[in-house]
Amino acid sequence: MNQAEVTKLVSKLRIKIPPKHRKMSSPEGPEGRMNKLRKTVTGLFKYERIELNHNRADEARQYAERLIAEAINHGDCHKPTMEMADYWLLEKELVHKLFKVLVPRYENSNTAYTRMLRAPRPEYSYNTEKTVLELRGNPYPPLHNKQANNRQLLQNILLDAAKYEYRQTKYAEMAENIGKNEQEKPSV
Amino acid sequence: MKKPVMYLSSSLFGKLLPRSKRYLSTKEAIERRSHLFNLEKKRQLENVGRIEKIEVNYKGVPKDCTLVMNRNISTPYDCAKHLTQWHTESSVLALLDGTIHWDMHRPLTENCTLELQNFTVSDPHQVNKAFWRSCSLVLGACATVAFKDTVAVKLHSFPGPDIRSGSFIYDIDLPSLPDWKPTQQELHTLSAEYVMLSRKALPIERLEVSEELALEMFVENEHKTKQIPSIARSNANGKVTLYKVDKYVDISKGPMISHTAQIGKVSVTSVHQLVGTPESDVNQLYRFQGVALPTGVVLNHFAYSILIERAKKLNPARSPINPFGEPSHTTHKENIAATA
Repeated sequence: MNQAEVTKLVSKLRIKIPPKHRKMSSPEGPEGRMNKLRKTVTGLFKYERIELNHNRADEARQYAERLIAEAINHGDCHKPTMEMADYWLLEKELVHKLFKVLVPRYENSNTAYTRMLRAPRPEYSYNTEKTVLELRGNPYPPLHNKQANNRQLLQNILLDAAKYEYRQTKYAEMAENIGKNEQEKPSV
Repeated sequence: MKKPVMYLSSSLFGKLLPRSKRYLSTKEAIERRSHLFNLEKKRQLENVGRIEKIEVNYKGVPKDCTLVMNRNISTPYDCAKHLTQWHTESSVLALLDGTIHWDMHRPLTENCTLELQNFTVSDPHQVNKAFWRSCSLVLGACATVAFKDTVAVKLHSFPGPDIRSGSFIYDIDLPSLPDWKPTQQELHTLSAEYVMLSRKALPIERLEVSEELALEMFVENEHKTKQIPSIARSNANGKVTLYKVDKYVDISKGPMISHTAQIGKVSVTSVHQLVGTPESDVNQLYRFQGVALPTGVVLNHFAYSILIERAKKLNPARSPINPFGEPSHTTHKENIAATA
């Protein structure tokens, strides 16, 4: 077959893509949906960390990832990419940010360009699963605590000591058994 | 210094006990001690006199800033209140000038830089020690409250924090219970008392008092009375550092954590008998043991059960009444005689 594989025409995204898009009901129809997502993508590029409803975050994230991937692959002299950036970024100074700041930041990365985290839900609310969507490498303090591996944490000290004691008892048992075997041998 | 103390204590005795012979039940002794603590704290605050300002350079999130506080009145906790609620709740110790670990409820005396430390700082060594020490302190308080009025509870002491031993301990004298082995139900009750005390989120207050006042406060507890002179001598300024949780006052060098709600998952795991040597003044003590984790630490129940099983074994810390012997249930008189 001479037909090119579809998967090779577009750069593969580094996030999980659901099989169907979300309709994101809007009185203006599909165009309204796109306008909503453009606003979100613009906000994400502008503030680098935003909190919003999960549906919209997940949908906008896919377009943001795609936009950054295209910008990295084709650079700023590629007309279709520039048109795409012009369409998605409502504030035009962000187009400069995309090519001059974000492309150098992500050129050599091998993970996704954005990160999505669950945010606490407001009390007594329904159907509003909140999410934090951020660009990786942003200047804000990290949201999650990556220190669980710190050996100095109290729980780790306790567990390490318990492990050490368990091994010591096992070694003592083994040493006893060795002694016994040697004693038995001469008698046999 | 001495005069108001004597006045206070004599007036208090007048109210509580008209008889000349001093005898206090555990409950009365607690009330009296806490009352004396509050009076002394008030007196020290009034003695500050003219309020002077100090500059505290705060370093940390959300941003570095300078706070103007009151000398000998404002505490690191007050500084945290200027920041956010998160700071007041999660800060365990204050680090002054990058070197001195300071209680959250101890008034600041000098211009300094201030960092607030919680359980997840990159080097939590001192924080952990303060936590373990505070756990022992609260264990003493909860053992005091758990027994009926007919059982006299005399707190003896707790050794310095050793986290790797797997349990925090408090050695307690129960003179009316010569041979007590707690049932599982009783241990659960002790743990429940502990949890109730920690859920109250009470601040752990600190106060430095003179030796005479400390002796006056612990007049009915002969163990503490014996320890106080040497504690006062070992301190550079000849004072005794007291800590108060709820209405329970205890002696400790500190520093302690900020409030009891920072103690999260906790269990009182076992009570062991410690037998004294013939020369020691106490025949036996009970070693109360427990294990705890800071608030917010998520540990799966299997791992926690391992910690509990380990904390049930007798803690090998040195026994205060038999310091050179094996910390076991039986004394080895023959062995000692043979080595001597």
